[in-house]
Amino acid sequence: MTTTRRRWFDTVIGLVLTGIMLFPIYWMINVSLTKSGAMRQDPPSLFPFDPTFEGYEAVLSQQLPFLGTSFVIGIGTVVLTVVLSAPAAYALAKLRMPGGGALSFVLLVAQMIPGIIMAMGFYAIYLNLGILNSIPGLILADSTLAVPFGVLIFTAFMSGIPNELLNAAKIDGAGNWRTFRSIVLPVSRNSIVTVSLFAFLWSWSDFLFASTLDGGGSLQPITMGIYRYIGNNNQEWNAIMATAVVASIPAAVLLVVAQRYVAAGVTAGAVKD
Amino acid sequence: MITTKRGRALGALAATAVIGITLAGCSGGGTTSGTDSADAGGEYTFWDPYPQYDETSAWAKVIDSCATEAGVTVKRTAYDTSDLTSKALLAGQQSSSPDVLLIDNPVISTLAEAGILTTTDENGLDVSAVAPNLISAGEVDGNTYGVPIGANTLALYYNPEVLKAAGVDIASVTDWASLTSALEKVTASGKKGITFSGIGTEEGSFQFLPWFWGSGAELTELDSSEAQSAVQLWTDWVTKGYAPNSVINNTQTTSWEEFLTGDFAFAENGTWQKAGAAEAGYEVIPIPAADGGAAPAPTGGEFLSIPVQKDSARYAASQKIVACLTDTDNLVATDNSLNYIAPTEAAQQAQLAEDATLEPWIDAVGAAQGRTGDNLGTDYPVISEQLWTAVQASLTGSQSAADALAAAQSAASAGLTK
Amino acid sequence: MTATETRSGSAARGRGRGAAGPEPVAPAAGAAPRRRRLKGHWAGWAFAAPVVIYLLVFYAYPLVRNLELSFRDYTVRSFIDGTAPFAGFDNYIAVLSDATFAPALLNTTLFTLVSIVFQYSLGLALAVFFFRRFPLSGTLRALFLVPWLLPLLVSASTWSWMLNSDSGVVNSFLEAFGIGQVNWLTSPQFSLISVIVANIWIGIPFNLVILYSGLQSIPEEVYEAASIDGANGWQKFWRITFPLLRPVSAITVLLGLVYTLKVFDIIWIMTKGGPGSSSTTFAIWSYRLGFGSALPDLSPAAAVGNLLIVIALVFGFIYIRAQRRLDPS
Repeated sequence: MTTTRRRWFDTVIGLVLTGIMLFPIYWMINVSLTKSGAMRQDPPSLFPFDPTFEGYEAVLSQQLPFLGTSFVIGIGTVVLTVVLSAPAAYALAKLRMPGGGALSFVLLVAQMIPGIIMAMGFYAIYLNLGILNSIPGLILADSTLAVPFGVLIFTAFMSGIPNELLNAAKIDGAGNWRTFRSIVLPVSRNSIVTVSLFAFLWSWSDFLFASTLDGGGSLQPITMGIYRYIGNNNQEWNAIMATAVVASIPAAVLLVVAQRYVAAGVTAGAVKD
Repeated sequence: MITTKRGRALGALAATAVIGITLAGCSGGGTTSGTDSADAGGEYTFWDPYPQYDETSAWAKVIDSCATEAGVTVKRTAYDTSDLTSKALLAGQQSSSPDVLLIDNPVISTLAEAGILTTTDENGLDVSAVAPNLISAGEVDGNTYGVPIGANTLALYYNPEVLKAAGVDIASVTDWASLTSALEKVTASGKKGITFSGIGTEEGSFQFLPWFWGSGAELTELDSSEAQSAVQLWTDWVTKGYAPNSVINNTQTTSWEEFLTGDFAFAENGTWQKAGAAEAGYEVIPIPAADGGAAPAPTGGEFLSIPVQKDSARYAASQKIVACLTDTDNLVATDNSLNYIAPTEAAQQAQLAEDATLEPWIDAVGAAQGRTGDNLGTDYPVISEQLWTAVQASLTGSQSAADALAAAQSAASAGLTK
Repeated sequence: MTATETRSGSAARGRGRGAAGPEPVAPAAGAAPRRRRLKGHWAGWAFAAPVVIYLLVFYAYPLVRNLELSFRDYTVRSFIDGTAPFAGFDNYIAVLSDATFAPALLNTTLFTLVSIVFQYSLGLALAVFFFRRFPLSGTLRALFLVPWLLPLLVSASTWSWMLNSDSGVVNSFLEAFGIGQVNWLTSPQFSLISVIVANIWIGIPFNLVILYSGLQSIPEEVYEAASIDGANGWQKFWRITFPLLRPVSAITVLLGLVYTLKVFDIIWIMTKGGPGSSSTTFAIWSYRLGFGSALPDLSPAAAVGNLLIVIALVFGFIYIRAQRRLDPS
């Protein structure tokens, strides 16, 4: 009895905390529904009592195709990131080759290169390869946001995998590749989800690469759609905020669903172990 | 069990997606390089800072019809204004500049300095019809690097209802002293005085310049007593509560949104807001100079330019496209939709014939001056940065107007001699 | 759990990684393990090869380019035609003696440290809280990620909206409690605090997610054993959770540090680094030099960017040293 009550008490606290955390999001929605004449009212109105749906009309009529592009790019980035970074992390965490420290070091430095310099570099490379304004090009560029992160995170988690687990496999005659595939990867489920999540989120909200490398593309991600409402002299905040809301709803649903899936996977794993 | 099956399904899905993307990418890449080499086929690239206009807009259609007239096709790409400068430099560095570039006028001198743009002598554009004060922003060392598509400038919008309630007659507002006393009355009546944009970017300098020039100050001498009086004017408004504290961080859009609440008596804003202002019942007067009369306001608006190409044979068609876009009919149509004032006398008259309320704006644009004019060229960005820094320092009270401007002048001189 | 059985083997491997010369021979080691280790090296690099190639292809050019920009004197013209003269350390000297350097260093330090401390501790507290698996915990935790779905342009604009001096919701809330107008974004005293608060908000989900999955990888049995020993929640946290989370914590803090050092959009959108230079960090300064006005000053901008890389390197070095110290145990 008491534990149930305590669990529900936790839920209440959780709701309050989530409410505080998401207040800026609420505010964004509020602004997206506010008429431009009331946007800078002093004091501001806490609820959009007299809402306008102009922003949403504009977004829904113009922006939906962009969402699909963003999804494809997001998923492509996730796949590329995991495929590249998980084996490298296995090497760093468990195979411990000489020079591994230097590699981690380079990965750290890599992340410090300012995005705009990266974008300039990519622009030059892509121009010569002829893959400007293409989806694979953008996936490749977006993955640079996540690959060093992925390697470092995977390394941190994989070094926590008990060596005896791997040694047992080796004794059974498994090579490195099989050990990696059939033991390391399944055990690293949590970190794969974590890395995928961030790879997806980064590519989903990327602006810089999209505008530099896909500025003239026919298939552009949703973040580029926002530019349509930023004129050279004025910004249409209704529509900008509405785009952000529309863009985050499907992705938020995806997060919640993924959350369920992950939770299920974890408990299943725990039972199996 | 279930989870692994689903995991596998997801994996397969992802794999299919990747293959799909790669295939799509190959074909996409193919067409791109195809058009690059197909110069003879005649696809011309066109960059502008109007992402708000998609391919179905009148603007896009005008470009298409001009291209057809020139016997070529145009691929138009719209970038965000702030993005376009770096994009143009990057493209110039990679020798992949667009054939026609429409860009904000203060940037012209930078791009000309970089050697990216052709002069009108090289590309054969005729700019003789353009008003001299407007073309000056495109002139560096006697060469002209582009032609304005339209012009805008700043003026003082006012809310007649707020003024009436406060007992202010707009006709009495003729100089700084009378404007300040109007603000005082409005504030006393419980409303708010004036809103403007004092943000620490070029936008802030743009908004400050009418007061700066209206005091008689010049950009070559930031620490003059005239300049101090202008900075002091803004600072006093903020400290006395005639202007809200938020002006320090306001963009022109934010400032306009404040004005739209109906609480403010005055707002300094640009030509592009005139349609919205008319709808809300707001009216407009020129920004007064310190001792009366209209202060010169800076010109805004974009220039059409023709960037340097490896193949100089391309200039002929680019020139035709630009000439077509700037013929009187097209200028009128474009500038009406952008809420700009046309840069040529003939087009201005045509605009006026359609809409008589444009008269004060045409006068304002006629009295305006280019920021990079007086052959300041690429000195202007350096000076402007110091100017907005000084304005911010004084508005926040961290430095006095005199100290802030003295620091600005020495920093600007140091920056220019470098 | 049979941790003790193989400990000697893993210790030898751990030490072997650090030493470049002849390796200390572990008690049980003979010729065979050595050969296996050598084979392990090749296998290691084989596994890492895709990332190494990837790094070379995509990062080497920008990195070299950034260095080159900073050691030459680029103007807009020489940026286009590539004729910038070699300038040695001139750009660095100019940057170090600039009046903006000292405030930018202070702001960068404050911004980074305060952000990290709060992001990490709040993230960890939330991770532990959500780990209690109450009804809706999964959904709520997922909702905590929603801020990450927004383009920074939008979330930072929303913050500047909320913190507006005159029409902001924060001030109207404070006024309800009789607190007068606070100029969050427009006064030199508060602007840095404001951008730090917004940055902490954006960083919490990152810390929460990584630390939460760190918690998931701590074996259930350890806690069960502690419960049998009669440890309370607080003791369990300090004696088990925190120490076992150390590798994950270290990488979270390190990555947080790297990301916070280069935070640009939030500050730029909220304050433009101002008023004055009161919220100017190195990242903002670099951008302002490079792209803040119509006349890009690329070489000093690159020099400031490289200073950031050096700072990150120092912390990376500390991390690797610390990791090595932790490792053999």
